Amino acid sequence: MASGFFTDTTLCIGCKACEVACKQWNQLPADGYEFSGNSYDNTLALGGTTWRHVAFIEQTVPPDQPPTNNKWLMMSDVCKHCTYAGCMEACPTGAIVRNEFDDVYIQPDVCNGCGYCVPSCPFGVVDLIAHADYTVGRHFESDGRTHDDATQTTGGVAGKCTLCYDRQKVGFTPACAKACPTESIQFGDVDELRARAKKRVEQLEARGVHSYLYGVDSDSSVGDLNAFFLLTDRPGAYNLPERPVLPSTHQPAGYSSAALAAAALAVLGVVIFRHG
Amino acid sequence: MSAGQFDLSQLNPDASFRGASSGEPLPAHASPTYYDRPLLKKPHWEWEVVTYLFMGGVMGGSGMLVAIADEDGDDWELARSARYLSFGLAAACPAILIKHLGRPERFLHMLRIVKFKSVMSMGVWGLVLFSLPASAAAAAQAAEDGLLPGMFRHVAPRMLVKPLQGLLGAFIAGYTGVLISATAIPAWAIGKRFIPAFSVCSGVAGACAANAAVLALTDGSERTFARLERFELAASLAELALLLGFERHAGELGKPMYAGARGAKLRTWTMGLGIAVPAILNLIPVHARWKTLLASALTLAGGYVLRETLIEAGKASADDPKAAARQPL
Repeated sequence: MASGFFTDTTLCIGCKACEVACKQWNQLPADGYEFSGNSYDNTLALGGTTWRHVAFIEQTVPPDQPPTNNKWLMMSDVCKHCTYAGCMEACPTGAIVRNEFDDVYIQPDVCNGCGYCVPSCPFGVVDLIAHADYTVGRHFESDGRTHDDATQTTGGVAGKCTLCYDRQKVGFTPACAKACPTESIQFGDVDELRARAKKRVEQLEARGVHSYLYGVDSDSSVGDLNAFFLLTDRPGAYNLPERPVLPSTHQPAGYSSAALAAAALAVLGVVIFRHG
Repeated sequence: MSAGQFDLSQLNPDASFRGASSGEPLPAHASPTYYDRPLLKKPHWEWEVVTYLFMGGVMGGSGMLVAIADEDGDDWELARSARYLSFGLAAACPAILIKHLGRPERFLHMLRIVKFKSVMSMGVWGLVLFSLPASAAAAAQAAEDGLLPGMFRHVAPRMLVKPLQGLLGAFIAGYTGVLISATAIPAWAIGKRFIPAFSVCSGVAGACAANAAVLALTDGSERTFARLERFELAASLAELALLLGFERHAGELGKPMYAGARGAKLRTWTMGLGIAVPAILNLIPVHARWKTLLASALTLAGGYVLRETLIEAGKASADDPKAAARQPL
């Protein structure tokens, strides 16, 4: 059984209970008190210790338009737990695995902080846990385990949503979905969630609201997303890629161009050194 | 189009996300951004990684020189310097990677598994494997030079060690480019046919330069110098052609690398002082120590700046949400 999230953005009220529940359960440090000026969003992005992020998109109306056209989109972003995960493929240590719930999970004690997963995520989700997030002289704990805090001076291990692996293990709903007061975040079997989501799109359509599912039946190289979304604007509006590409699809072209260049130079070298 | 005028009924959701692998260009105006906040995460790589990429190129190129040089003829000094240099760099590379990771155990985590899908795993194993023939060849050379007991002469059967060192060297010079381009960073991904190729060229040119410098400071036949100069010229001109080709191919996505101060630095240090000036110096038919040392220093500096520019351009590219929204296929 694959478990995942269906995040229905039309139900989100922007309360950030998911963000708080995630921080609380996973014992993640606070993000600080930075004022962004970007609507109600002072979290701004997912990160090594920020595993839910509520985006606020205020679409204001020009003065000559009726105020009913005003739109305020809210969306709780999270790791997508891709079918073909760029971070997992890039990881050289095998720290990033697919667990028994079909979710992408980083084993913090195996991660060595090389950082290759960071530019390999087409959604910009995973990040190294910043040095500032470690309390000096103490270990950083999350998910019931002590993170390797070897690099107090150079940065930490990679962090991202675990889909509350520990809660799932004992049959609990992930903290964010549990805390969501409007069921904007729904947790469950991915097939079931997809069926429910498709019905929801039809229901909204009948009410005159155009929506679509992001990460379902997609022909992107990352495959379908175990954590997918119902959106009412273009993906870019929510800071989601319109066209996520799985980085490993670039490898054949990369390796072959390297091989071609090396072979050409080797032949040239033999000519120069053996016949020159 | 202001946000308020966005007509929801015109929203064609399938055209956006589902255009993923069809290859059709998505209209640029159609993608709004989220307060222009970055969509992707920046790589955290600093000077350690830049230095590793640079050293890996020179090391891999030196491995290729070991395999190519006519060690029974005029190039025996070159074969010797390339062996020592390969070995020295093969020892230094893990050290700089450990510096990057924070402590030695973390490097060992890389050796838990062999993972063909991960370019970094392949690269680490390439480095570990390369160090075997490189160490054996250096030990045999040291025995030859009287630095080690005579029995070490037999640790490196030539027919086996030379081709291995050449092949693995070529792999190391090239894989770093594959590692960079096989990511979600637009400026890197768009270069999948260029970055690996010019990494190899730059590595070979750097190896020619480094070995020529060693020979200029010790001893080498005039013929070897002439050969090294010609090989370096060919490799660096190919590098220049690929760099210019990449700029044309990448277009808008290549701006982080080619525009502004970063682009000016690349043009000055890599294309100009690192390639053009050494090429002119190498074409002057005068054999002089100062000339070799100057050309070598400039070539090596240009190679370092190339890696630095690549890494920094990747960070800038990650910050551009418009580029990140439509990732290159």
